[in-house]
Amino acid sequence: MTSTRSATLFAFALLAPALIYILTIVAYPLFDTIVLSFTNASLRQEYDFVGWANYQRIFTAGNFTEVIIRTFVWTFFSVSMKMIIGMCGAVLLNAAIPGQTLFRILTMPPWIVPMAIGIYMWAWMYNGQFGMISGLLENMGLTSGPIAFLAYGHTAFWATIVTDVWIGVPMVTIYFLAAMQSIPRDLYEAAWTDGAGRFYRFRRITMPLMVPAIITMSLLSLIATFNSFDIIWILTQGGPSGSTTTMIIDTYKTAMGSRKYGEGAARAVVISIFVIIFCITYFRAVRKLQQGEAK
Amino acid sequence: MSQLSLKRLEKSFNEARIIKGIDLDVSEGEFVVFVGPSGCGKSTLLRMIAGLEDVTAGEIEIGGKTVNDLPPVQRGIAMVFQSYALYPHMSVYENIAFPLRVEKLPQAEVDARVGAAAKVLQLESRLQHRPGQLSGGQRQRVAIGRAIVRQPKIFLFDEPLSNLDAALRSEMRIELMELHKRLGSTMIYVTHDQVEAMTMADKIVVLDAGTIAQVGSPLDLYHRPDNLFVAGFIGSPKMNFINGRVKSADGTTVTIDLGSLGTIALPRAITEVAGQDVTLGIRPEHMRLDDGGFVIETTPNIVEQLGIHTITYSTLSSGEPFIGLFEGNPDLVESKSVRMGFALEQAHLFDARGLAVY
Repeated sequence: MTSTRSATLFAFALLAPALIYILTIVAYPLFDTIVLSFTNASLRQEYDFVGWANYQRIFTAGNFTEVIIRTFVWTFFSVSMKMIIGMCGAVLLNAAIPGQTLFRILTMPPWIVPMAIGIYMWAWMYNGQFGMISGLLENMGLTSGPIAFLAYGHTAFWATIVTDVWIGVPMVTIYFLAAMQSIPRDLYEAAWTDGAGRFYRFRRITMPLMVPAIITMSLLSLIATFNSFDIIWILTQGGPSGSTTTMIIDTYKTAMGSRKYGEGAARAVVISIFVIIFCITYFRAVRKLQQGEAK
Repeated sequence: MSQLSLKRLEKSFNEARIIKGIDLDVSEGEFVVFVGPSGCGKSTLLRMIAGLEDVTAGEIEIGGKTVNDLPPVQRGIAMVFQSYALYPHMSVYENIAFPLRVEKLPQAEVDARVGAAAKVLQLESRLQHRPGQLSGGQRQRVAIGRAIVRQPKIFLFDEPLSNLDAALRSEMRIELMELHKRLGSTMIYVTHDQVEAMTMADKIVVLDAGTIAQVGSPLDLYHRPDNLFVAGFIGSPKMNFINGRVKSADGTTVTIDLGSLGTIALPRAITEVAGQDVTLGIRPEHMRLDDGGFVIETTPNIVEQLGIHTITYSTLSSGEPFIGLFEGNPDLVESKSVRMGFALEQAHLFDARGLAVY
């Protein structure tokens, strides 16, 4: 055995635990899902290979295209709001104001509270009869009667987005705050010495230097939001009338609700393709940013 | 009239008094260096002049006008930071043009001023590069360029060369001195490096724990230090100090008992120090290997041969460290006794309070 070959084997031996883990937890289920997507698997013990039939069905019958569009719209608004609110929060938390530490701590609860509890809290707030939001709007004279936010398609759609934003904002804020604090103070002092005001400094120093953090966070948030299941499921289960059914909810309903495992797998594969595209975009962006930093 | 006046200037951070009542006048066109050990308050003082730190008490006047409450941009100053504070996402051109963009000057004016600064600083070929693509010296020049384009009354430099290697530092030092000559502007320069202070300054301000220990020209400070602190701080290697007690002071001669080193008689027209504990100071470079003057016999623990100089490090019988610096390469070896002497007129004398007696 040559020394090169022995070194290669040794390298594989060292990689083996990680490789076995990835093959078992990621690669095998993914491969199995792809195989399943070409079958008519259901509760029956046996199933047959059906070729592209599941894919043809989901794109021709039903409303899968509508679900895809809805998922993108839902994700777009949710991610955009998280980025905008997260940035505003980071700016405020970064400002030298009294009680800064307290405000930083107060940002965390949505992230710290177990997600299901937070979502149920919002479900109560959206409730038409007992909900705080409806009551508040009525007391302020903005509405004439109770509104059950989760009972109507358009309000339910925005209600699920608001909850997703509420849960997602703390992480974005903290990430942006960390990125903001890594900008050397000297840069701001130099700009101030040159007469640059607060907004000018934000526009010409903070924002350009935050671009890598914004790109990274947007893409990570995009991947997480695109796959967001628990918020919608607990609040609306994809209803009313499918108005909050995103791809992941749709897949779950098909596979676990209708027991059409083969078709559900096909929908899951489509989701995976989108997520893989997002991931490739993310890694390319990270590489480009690193190359930019190295210059 | 002085261009900058500091009057009883004080700065405290909570309970800590950092600047303790400083009075200073700087004339137009002067190159003033604030020097002192770490934590002496020199950078804080500069930042107060710049307007980056609030004044706790006292006044800062620039051009006869009190500027305590004015923002930096209205003080007529420009500052060069230790870290250069260049904007990494902007080109060299945009970095230099930044203050002009803030002022919203017309593009033609911006082009003209940036072009002129780039020419002075030899940055013309680098204007489209990013700071990350420049060497340390070039970055330093960009930072200076950003200060130049504002055409300030006073330039403030906060340890601008401390991030450069030794060779580049001495190169940039000369460039800064040439720049000062060319622009003729007032420059205030903070450093902890006494070589920079000695070579660049018209006037050195030595700071010690938030107070001015001495103000004077470099040679004044070297030859006539006011106190032990300045005597020890200015000069490298630092001045040797030998403790003694005055046996007699008759108004023409002070005779000092140096213990096992013997007795020395220095010409001083003073009588008040009689019976006092005093400190004798002698610079290492004033030691000679002949038997002239006052002779000390000592055994070097370490001998450093630098080619141009030879430095010996010894410990006197009284336990005090003693350094000798000799020209060339005399035959000195470690652990071998050597007789070295100094001329009496080269000796410094400090009274019990640490103040110089001339």
